[in-house]
Amino acid sequence: MIGLVDGNNFFVSCERVFNRKLVGRPVAVLSNNDGCCVSRSNEFKALGIPMGTPYFQLKNREATGELSFCSSNYELYGDMSRRIVSILRDEAVDVEQYSIDEAFITPPSLEALGNGERGMGNGEIGSRSPFPITHSPYLAYGRRLRAKILRWVGIPCGVGFAPTKTLAKIANHIGKKRPDGVFLMPDDPTEILASLPVGEVWGVGRRLPVKLRASRIITAQQLHDAPDATIRSIGGVTLLRTVMELRGIPCCEEKDYDAAPDTVSCSRSFGTPATTLEALEESMASFAAQAAAKLRRHGLLASGCNIYAQIFAAGGGGDFVGRTVAFPVPTDATNEMLRAFRPEVTALYTPGLRYRKTGIVFFGLEKPGAPRQTDLFDTTPPTGRSRLYKAVDALNARYGKGKVFSAAEGIGQRSWQMKRSKLSKRPTTRWNELMTVR
Amino acid sequence: MGAKAKVSGSVVAGFPSPAEQYLEPPLDLNELLVKRPAATYFVRVEGDSMSGAGISDGDLLVVDRSLRPADGDVIIANVDGDFTVKTYRRDKDGIRLEPANPAYPVIRLHAGQELDYFGKVTACIHRFAGKK
Repeated sequence: MIGLVDGNNFFVSCERVFNRKLVGRPVAVLSNNDGCCVSRSNEFKALGIPMGTPYFQLKNREATGELSFCSSNYELYGDMSRRIVSILRDEAVDVEQYSIDEAFITPPSLEALGNGERGMGNGEIGSRSPFPITHSPYLAYGRRLRAKILRWVGIPCGVGFAPTKTLAKIANHIGKKRPDGVFLMPDDPTEILASLPVGEVWGVGRRLPVKLRASRIITAQQLHDAPDATIRSIGGVTLLRTVMELRGIPCCEEKDYDAAPDTVSCSRSFGTPATTLEALEESMASFAAQAAAKLRRHGLLASGCNIYAQIFAAGGGGDFVGRTVAFPVPTDATNEMLRAFRPEVTALYTPGLRYRKTGIVFFGLEKPGAPRQTDLFDTTPPTGRSRLYKAVDALNARYGKGKVFSAAEGIGQRSWQMKRSKLSKRPTTRWNELMTVR
Repeated sequence: MGAKAKVSGSVVAGFPSPAEQYLEPPLDLNELLVKRPAATYFVRVEGDSMSGAGISDGDLLVVDRSLRPADGDVIIANVDGDFTVKTYRRDKDGIRLEPANPAYPVIRLHAGQELDYFGKVTACIHRFAGKK
């Protein structure tokens, strides 16, 4: 059995724990740079304002007091998510965090969950589940889990149980709409799958339903029943895996989160379009510092990087310009990277243009000591370099991100930083932003 | 919370330390004050409404959301959109929130009104030099 636990309207729910004035109101949390709605309260959804609606289109309705908005407070959401996962780790046999607001869990066995409600129903002997579905110990367990998270963290969750992840996703969606927030997929899910459009099945995506429709596959049940050959010809092995999951056969591999990444990258849009070389240089230096810290966390060296910028165009879009830089020797030291790519930023910059976005992607990642050609003139003793950045990382971990930085990142007003004009306090990660009580 | 150094007794030369077999990890305030990290929050006191209970302006409170309030507990609740620290009272007259300072009024919940409970205060940290 697999469970999927996810926070309802997670970002909005996090904001509401510390700002009770938002309870019962139409509230949305905005994306980076206060761009568009990424999390909406039920009251906000009820007004028919879709996900992704740009903030500027709704500003006048905020001014009248009808709608409320918050900037993305990732520090808060990350901490609340960490609390939920830690509760799940205490209560479940295994936890796989899937995203900031969702986690798959392996619940304890039926024996371990006890016989709490066994006496209440007349279990059919010989059927796969000894419990009538409304009295399953999984439901009682799910309700307990949900109540605990609500009390300890203040976030309402949906919980769905099923034999596979894909079915657990569907069960979770149904659970969320129920008053107790929990749903267990019945042994025979035909009725549920028959009323579910294929596009809503996890992993099917947006383009496949068009192709599937041509083969008269419209509901999840029709997908479930389709011949393997048809499925393969439409969506390959990936879709076949999804179908196996619908049939109750687990096929989803556990994502290996600890695996070393192939590339490490960092990018961001400017709050207002950038026009100066300094803005480009400083933003890229800062992203390089963040990405390099990530490389060091994974114990990896980068062989080179791509730097790029997007030119601002009215109405969205805009061309990308980029440069590829190979480092003299693979490195994880921010200062060596800066030295290598700074001339390329100058080369990439055209005066008079406005830039929407910059970014950096490190590639050719390897473990130190991997066989490679060394630079005859690389005279930096590697220990000295790694000690410097070990100290930098430790200081930044202790005193907050970005306390120690390269001068190249700039010290003035950082116009390229994320715009978060409606940022709430970060009461669980910053001593100077605690919630106050009177 | 942070990484803890492992204490191992590899002494290169000299006499073995007589204290070695008695080595223990040092005392940790987190262990004492934070029983359930996932349910624990820190909040800052503003004002003197609880001065009679030893809670002063600027104090740091340790709050455990997992604990249900009982009569006489110091709790954090939200009243009309603002968070407040008060003593929780529950008897035949219903629920009320009592300040520990006669200059402040008792907050009474009218019939049918539900208490917007945040958590129970489990400790008060009062620092003598400055508020931070």
